[in-house]
Amino acid sequence: MNKDMLTLAQWCVQVAKSVGADDCRVSINSDRLVEISYRERKPENIKEASTKGLYIEVFVNGRYSGQSTSDLRHDALNNFISNAVATTRLLAEDPFRTLPDPKYYQGRADVDLGIFDVDYEKFTPENRHSMVKEIEQACLSKGGDKVISATANVNDGHTESVVLTSNGFEGYTKSTYYVAVAEMTAKDEGDRRPEGYDYAVAVNRKDMPPPAKVGAMAAKRTLDLLGGKKIKTETLPIIIENRSVPRLLGGFLAAMYGRSIQQKQSFLADKKGKKIASDQFTLIDDPFIKGGLGSRLYDGDGFAAKKRVMIEAGVLNKRSVQEIMKDLGRGIFISDFIGGNSNSTTGDASIGIIGQLFENGVPVQAVAEMNIADNHLKFWNRLAEVANDPWMYSSQRMPSLVFTDVVVSGL
Amino acid sequence: MNKMTRRSFLKGTAMAAATVALPNAWYSLARADSPGYFEKEFGMTDKLCQKVLAEALSRGGDFADLYFEHTIGNWLILEDGKVNRAYCDVALGVGIRTVKGDQVGYGFTQELTEKAMLAAASTAATIANANANKPAGKFVQLKMNNYYPLEKLLTSVPLESKLPLVQSANDKCFALSPLIVKVTANFHDQQKRILVVTSDGTKAEDLLPRNYLYVSVVAEKEGKRERAGWNLGGRKDFSYYTPAVADEVAKAAVDRALILFEAVQPPAGEMPVVLGPGVTGVLLHEAIGHGMEADFNRKKISTYCTMIGRQVAEPFVTIVDDGTNLNLTGSLNVDDEGTPGQKTVLVDKGILTSYMHDKISARYYQVKPTGNGRRESYQHYVQPRMRNTYMLAGPATPSQVIGSVEKGIYVQDVSNGEVTIGAGDFAFYVSQGRMIENGKLTAPIKDINIMGNGPKMLKNITMLANDLEMSRGGAGACGKGGQAVPVGFGQPTCLVKSMTVGGTKA
Repeated sequence: MNKDMLTLAQWCVQVAKSVGADDCRVSINSDRLVEISYRERKPENIKEASTKGLYIEVFVNGRYSGQSTSDLRHDALNNFISNAVATTRLLAEDPFRTLPDPKYYQGRADVDLGIFDVDYEKFTPENRHSMVKEIEQACLSKGGDKVISATANVNDGHTESVVLTSNGFEGYTKSTYYVAVAEMTAKDEGDRRPEGYDYAVAVNRKDMPPPAKVGAMAAKRTLDLLGGKKIKTETLPIIIENRSVPRLLGGFLAAMYGRSIQQKQSFLADKKGKKIASDQFTLIDDPFIKGGLGSRLYDGDGFAAKKRVMIEAGVLNKRSVQEIMKDLGRGIFISDFIGGNSNSTTGDASIGIIGQLFENGVPVQAVAEMNIADNHLKFWNRLAEVANDPWMYSSQRMPSLVFTDVVVSGL
Repeated sequence: MNKMTRRSFLKGTAMAAATVALPNAWYSLARADSPGYFEKEFGMTDKLCQKVLAEALSRGGDFADLYFEHTIGNWLILEDGKVNRAYCDVALGVGIRTVKGDQVGYGFTQELTEKAMLAAASTAATIANANANKPAGKFVQLKMNNYYPLEKLLTSVPLESKLPLVQSANDKCFALSPLIVKVTANFHDQQKRILVVTSDGTKAEDLLPRNYLYVSVVAEKEGKRERAGWNLGGRKDFSYYTPAVADEVAKAAVDRALILFEAVQPPAGEMPVVLGPGVTGVLLHEAIGHGMEADFNRKKISTYCTMIGRQVAEPFVTIVDDGTNLNLTGSLNVDDEGTPGQKTVLVDKGILTSYMHDKISARYYQVKPTGNGRRESYQHYVQPRMRNTYMLAGPATPSQVIGSVEKGIYVQDVSNGEVTIGAGDFAFYVSQGRMIENGKLTAPIKDINIMGNGPKMLKNITMLANDLEMSRGGAGACGKGGQAVPVGFGQPTCLVKSMTVGGTKA
């Protein structure tokens, strides 16, 4: 626990109560961030800062508001909180918006989530510069004479947060993160200059891939886009690469949010307990994965976090994307999405795709300016196979997914 | 965490907006603010600024600047018939930048104390490694026009005046149709005060208002549900928000939801696309505008980087990026590095004439900065960004443009646009539109994407109508490199002779 932050939070709770709040929740964050980018073998940007922020939610006579500020001077905060309470009095009542019953704070897991890298302070400016140079070098080497521009970036930081409520919740979290990114732009036919990138994110430095791997992978992914063009519109099997799955899945999950259901914006509102996806599909929300980017002991309301199975049915597969591709013969491998929309009210979704046409199990043509469209309720029922490659550098650890009979629009 | 990517996008529903004829006059009204805010409120004297700038240039560097910001943003939210939630955000801080060639060192702090600012300046200074440079001996206040005059500060408008606006929009929606089952409405107002102090002796101060009323509705008919939204706003005075504005936003949202019950999906594939006037200008912003931001060209990663002076479109096509439109969302009296607001012609009668520059790219190309240096907040670097981007009117009438298409689609509104800068490929979601059959608008369409390539699309604009309209929405925000800034856009009805339409009908 950070004593200074806790003391400030306690003071804010007292001030809020003294000016008429019935209840309040105070969250204080303290962050440190460092970012270095290289381009043309020299630093392009160097950025470093420490920030603090306070967010207070006040409950007054059954009314609610939330207010945040970065001005943490005591005088300024005093006025800020008084204004927050005064503003809240003018709103309409909302009997459903209260602090949770303290019983829901109970049962917080007593586990070390492993989300703070104890060696963070050993990550020196020299380490950062050498890491980012290595990423850039690997990208330039792999990209060869096709490289027009390569940029490497390393950013990292740590964050501390204290949450305190007037009805007894007290939470403290301390975490670190490391991000490595490489981007490359390549020479292609005519005026086309396709760009690709690779990245990795982890809370512990030991879980990061070798820097050179990020650089080389960015170059490979860019070179894979060369000669991209649209092909004839047809119905094909598709494979969605692991890292791109969350973007499409997000549209499906949006319909499971309580708010979507209450606001009649969910095509899943009456589907609880019913079959909504293929037997290949199991989705788990696990807050306790050690070193996980989404791991936590309590949620934003202070509820003790619990592991939940969201969609249950599936069988984990052991096959790699390459084996699956071989088996399918012809189809589209989607490495990225562009634009698009997902309508949580109707389930209709439409999204641009970037990737490769594969034939006889081998990529033969980069595709661009193409699109897939479907309805989530139908689409997820056509999930045919789940690959063995969950993408670890995200809070959503998704494997690559295979779908049958998807209309891929082009010419 | 900041995943670095060049991709840009415009935020989904925020794009819904109505249109109006472009105001071409500039009016000067009294400012609702007095200069010297940061000195009066926070003690930021010229002497202190000079000391901090000297530290930022202590290891050399070509120039340095300070960007002070104090922003207050309010949101009032109506759900289930009542305004029962409010949020407020206050941002206060200073960003300190040292530039050496195309290299940037950056530090920022929320504590406006000498000690904290000197520490941030010292971080910024590390980008250079030479003998110290000195900032200018005195600062001269930049003379600017005012493109968003205010009668009074938004922060002085009492909450009691704002509540009925949001409530009346809700009530109007339910009054308009028995099919409406849910309404959410919100009113956002923000006032951002900035002070830019540069090492070459410029001092510029501005007060930027931004506000909008947004309404989203869910309609239900025979077991089916549809949702749509709309907003009006910009850099407005609160007096703009009359009951008529609330009614207009409500009606647009309701009409847009109801028409979707009749909508069909067009067949997928390549076909002519007519872009309606106004909000479809977002396509121009994405597909073409981003590629003309000078940083992408300086680094040779934009598809347009070799095209200056080249014919990129038919001679009737002229595209501008403009900070001088009265009260529009992307207007700027001064940009975020102290260059006055101005209008930049990007494509003049079909010829690519200029990129959009910040100071770094302007030095690289040896041209004057165009006032496009923008940042989301004091925590962010300056990048070349768009303001209000639009295409000038052409010679045809809208009915001639539509009448020329035998079979295609008419796009009234798009959202969720995204572009790859180097390849120039883009994708857009069509939220409102119609089929065109035998030169006539027929069935409404929904849930499709249009895909294309920026330079190809520019060349494929074969007809342009005389009905330029600008988006009247205030919620439009553009993302680039992890930073969102408010932008505006517009265009006349135009025909793109071929684009890919994505749907489920092969």
